Amino acid sequence: MNSPISASATGKDATGAGVERLIDAAVAEVSRVVLGKEIQVRMALCCLFARGHLLIEDLPGMGKTTLSHALADVLGLSYNRVQFTSDLLPADILGVSVYDRDTASFSFHPGPVFTQVLLADEINRTTPRTQSALLEAMAEGQVTVEGQTRDLPEPFFVIATQNPIHQSGTYPLPESQLDRFLMRLELGYPHPQAERELLSKPRGGRNTVSLSQVIDAQGLATVRQAIDEVQTSDSLLDYVQRLVAFSRQSAEFAVGLSPRGALALLDCARTWAVMNSRRHVVPEDIQAVLPAVAGHRLVAAGDYAGDGQALVKLLMHGVDVVRR
Amino acid sequence: MNVEQQVPRNALIWMILSLFALILPHIERVPLWVIAVYVVAAVWRIQVFRGLWAYPRRWLKLVLILAASGGVFFSFGSVLGLEPTVALLLTAFALKMIELSSRKDAYVLIFLGYFVCITEFLFSQDILIVGYSLFTVLLLTTALVALHQPGQQRFNRGSMKLAGTMLLQAFPLMLVLFFLFPRIGPLWTVPIKSHTAKTGMSDLLKPGDVSKLSQSAEVAFRVQFDGEIPAFSDLYWRGLVMSRLEEGAWRSLRYWDVPAAERRMPELDAVGEPLSYAVIMEPTQQNWLFSLRYSQPASDGLLMLADYRLYSPIQIEHETQYRVQSWPQTPLDPELSAWRRETELALPAGDNPRTRELARSLRAASVSDADFVDRVLGYFTQQGFVYTLEPPLLGDDDPMDDFLFDSLRGFCEHYAYAFVMMMREAGVPARIVAGYMGGEINPVNRTVIVHQFDAHAWAEVWLAEQGWVRVDPTAAVAPDRIEWGLEQAVEGEGTFLSASPLSPLRYRDIDWVNALRLRYDALTYRWQAWVTGFNQEQQFDLLSRWLGEVSPQRFVTVLLLTWAAVLVPVAAVLLLRRRRHQLSPADKHYLAFCERMARMGVVREPWESPADFAQRAMRKLPRYRQEIEAITEAYQDLTYRPAPAPSSSGETLASLRRSVRKLQFVR
Repeated sequence: MNSPISASATGKDATGAGVERLIDAAVAEVSRVVLGKEIQVRMALCCLFARGHLLIEDLPGMGKTTLSHALADVLGLSYNRVQFTSDLLPADILGVSVYDRDTASFSFHPGPVFTQVLLADEINRTTPRTQSALLEAMAEGQVTVEGQTRDLPEPFFVIATQNPIHQSGTYPLPESQLDRFLMRLELGYPHPQAERELLSKPRGGRNTVSLSQVIDAQGLATVRQAIDEVQTSDSLLDYVQRLVAFSRQSAEFAVGLSPRGALALLDCARTWAVMNSRRHVVPEDIQAVLPAVAGHRLVAAGDYAGDGQALVKLLMHGVDVVRR
Repeated sequence: MNVEQQVPRNALIWMILSLFALILPHIERVPLWVIAVYVVAAVWRIQVFRGLWAYPRRWLKLVLILAASGGVFFSFGSVLGLEPTVALLLTAFALKMIELSSRKDAYVLIFLGYFVCITEFLFSQDILIVGYSLFTVLLLTTALVALHQPGQQRFNRGSMKLAGTMLLQAFPLMLVLFFLFPRIGPLWTVPIKSHTAKTGMSDLLKPGDVSKLSQSAEVAFRVQFDGEIPAFSDLYWRGLVMSRLEEGAWRSLRYWDVPAAERRMPELDAVGEPLSYAVIMEPTQQNWLFSLRYSQPASDGLLMLADYRLYSPIQIEHETQYRVQSWPQTPLDPELSAWRRETELALPAGDNPRTRELARSLRAASVSDADFVDRVLGYFTQQGFVYTLEPPLLGDDDPMDDFLFDSLRGFCEHYAYAFVMMMREAGVPARIVAGYMGGEINPVNRTVIVHQFDAHAWAEVWLAEQGWVRVDPTAAVAPDRIEWGLEQAVEGEGTFLSASPLSPLRYRDIDWVNALRLRYDALTYRWQAWVTGFNQEQQFDLLSRWLGEVSPQRFVTVLLLTWAAVLVPVAAVLLLRRRRHQLSPADKHYLAFCERMARMGVVREPWESPADFAQRAMRKLPRYRQEIEAITEAYQDLTYRPAPAPSSSGETLASLRRSVRKLQFVR
C-alpha cells in the first residue's frame, strides 16, 4: 500500500475520499483486536460491502471468530453465533414452532439465523443436511419454516469458518454451497511482531476490548452506492473474460469459473476499487481479489497436484493483462 | 422445427433476390407465365414467412408440377430441346422456392441456383453475360453465407461482403482450373440444339432472302488476318455454292447429289502468296463455314468440298474458331467434268420464257462467252435497274420475267439469279455463290467484323482456260455496294438497319458511340479468342509451350503442384496465424513501450498489470521515472477509466504516443 508510485500513477480519483476514510477507520478498528492482518481484514470488509458471504478457512485458534465478531461490531450489526457440531439439526438454526398452552396455538421461536451477522463456526463439522439449511438463507435472504416464509433482517451476512478439510470429523462443503460464498479467506499464522503484541497484553484486558461502531446504516449505504457507481472499461471486462476463458480451457482445471464466479470477481473488484479510492476498476483490483474469489471455485483436474491457491496463481500467470 | 433448421430471414431475402437475378437473362426466352410463377413464388414464400399463408399441400404441389410441365409443353410444343428444358428447370426452381422450409431445402435450392446460372451459357457466352453470371453467383453465395449466419433477422449486406471475399479468394483456383483442368470431350451428348431461329445464311436461296437477312445488325463472324487486310472489294466470303435450281429456289448440292468420284476437291496448284487468317464464327446451327476463294483449312476437322467451300461435319452450335489459308488467284476447275458441266447447266424447263429469250438473243449477238457475260452485265447497267433493300414480291410462275421486265428492282440475289439463269440458258456453266461481302475493319485490333447485313449473293461462270470466274452482277447495278458496302449503296433509300433502331451501328456518326462499339467489339474478339475459344487444342498448345512435352504424368504433377501452391499457403496461414484482434491505439503504444523497456532490460511479465510493471520499471530504471509514470498514467486513463470526454481522450492518446516516441530515441 505504501508504494513509491504517486496517486496519479495508480489512477486514483480525487473524489470519494470520504468513503475511503470511512473504510480506513473500520479497518483500523477491527485491527485493534485482529493484529497484523490488515489485508485479510480489508478483504473481509470488501466481501461484506459487496453483499457476499464470507468463508474463513483455517486451523482452530487463528482468530476466525474474533475477526467475525469484530466485523459485526464495527458495522453495528446484530450478531449471532452458531457452533456447528455433528448433531446439530436444521431446526436448531432456523427456529421451531412450539405449542403454547395459554394461547392454544403454535408460536414460532426464531432460531439464531434471524440476525444480521451469523457466524457459522466450523461449518464443515455438521452434516450436509444442516449445512443445506443455510442455503436458502444465504441465497434468498429468507427462511422457510413449516411452509411459512420469513424474511431475514437486512443486511444479512453469513461468516462461516471451517477447518481444513483433511482434519478428521469434517463433512466437506459441496461445490454448490461453496459457490455461494463470495470469498474464502485464510488467516494464517500472525506475524511474530503481532504475535508478541498479542502475548504481551494483560490477561485481564484480553476479552474486554470493546469495539465501537464505525459505519452505521447510512455509511453502509454510502459505501454501497459508491460501489454501484464504479465503472468498468471494455479492456477490463475483456481481461475478466480472458481469465474466465483460460480457466475453462486449460487442461489443469477440471471446473472453470462459472458466470456467477465471473460476476463475483467483478463485484469484488469494484468494491476493492472503491476501497482504494477509485471510481473505475483496474487490473490490480481483479488480481487483488482473485485469490479470495476464485480459490474455492476452481477445481483442479485429476493429474494436477496444486491446491486452490496454486490454481489461482496458474490462472493469473496464464493471462496477459494487456491484450495483444 | 428447431432453430438450427430454420432459414434465417436474411438468407431468405438473398435467396429471393437470387431468384429474380436468375430469371432476368432468360426473360426473352421464356413464356410470360414463367415470370408470373416467379412473382407468385416470391410473394407466397414471403407470406409463408410472415405466417399469413400456409405451405402448399401435397395435392397442390402435384397440380403445380403438372401445370408447369403442361405449360412448357403448350408453350414450346415439346418438353425436349434446350428452351423447353431450361424453362422447365426455371419453373421448378421457382416452385421449389415455395416449399422451402428447412435449411436442407435451402441448400438444395442454392445449389440448383448455381446450375440454373450455368444454363445461361448454353445460349450466350458473351462477356457481358459472363459478368452478369458472376453477379448472380455472388448473390447465391451470399445466400449461402447468410444461411450460415443464424439469427440474422435483418437484411444484412455484410453477408455479401463476405461472399465477395470468398469469391475473390477462389479466383486463383478458377484460373488454375481454367488453364490446367483437362478438357475432356463430353462423355455423352444431349441434344441441346437451340430452336431459336438464328439469323444467318440458309442453303436455300429465294429472291428476297438475302435482303431480309440484311436487316440484321448481328455479327456473323470476325476475321483476323495475319498480314495486311486485302482490299474491301476482294473480301468475298464464300459460304455456299448453289448449283441446283428447283421450284424457284437455288440450293447447294447435297452429299448424295454428287457421284462418288466428284465429291473430293481436285488438287490444284496454288498461285500467288497465301493469305492466312483466323475466323471466329458466331453459332449458326449449320455446317458451312466462310472463307475467301480457294482455301485450305489449317485447323483440324474441317473439309473442303468439290465446289471449293469449307464445310464442318459438326454443326456450329457454339462460337467456333478456325484458321484458313487462301490463294485467291488460283484458277478453279481448269477442266470441267461432264457431270459437273451438266449440273451447272441444268435449268428446269418451261418457266421464265422472256428471260430465256433475252439470254438467247444476247448470246447470239456475242462473239464469246466472256463477251456474253459483259453484255448481260451491260444490260443490267443500261436498263435502269435499281438496287434496293426492299424489293417487290415476285410472282411464283415466272419470277425472273417479273423482275427483268416489270419491277426492275432487286437485291443482290435477284441479279445473281437472273444472271446465272441467263448464263445457263445460253450454255455457259454458271452457279450462284452465297456468303458475305466486305466487312467492317475495326481500327482497334485490325479485325474484320462481318455483319449479317453484309450478306451477299453473286455468281461464278466457267470460262474455258480460266476456270470458274467470279462475276458480281450487283457491281453492275450498284458499284457502291462493292466499293463501300451496303450502307452507302442504299443511302438514298434510308432503309439501312431500319428494323434495328437500337443497334449501335446506326449511331456510328456519333464518335464516342462508335469508339465504344469498336472497343467493345475488340474486347469480344479477345474474349472469344482466349476464353470461350480456349479448347482442348489450345490448351495442348499452351501446355506444350510451358511444359515442353505434355504427358499424363506431367499434367497431373503440374495440376497437383498448382493446387498445392494455392492451398498450402492458405492452410499454413490458418494453422500458424494467431487469432488477431484489432489492437486499440493505446494498446499498440503501450506494447511498444513494453518492448522498449524489454530492450533496456526490464521485461514485463504477462500477468503484471501496468501499475505493477511501472513500479518495478521505475525501481530498475530510475532515470526514466517521469516517462514511465507519464506513459503508465496515460495508458491507464485510456484503457481503464471509462468514457472520458472524446477530446481529452484524443489528447491523452497523443501524449502517450509522444512519450513512447521520446523514450524510443533515448540511448
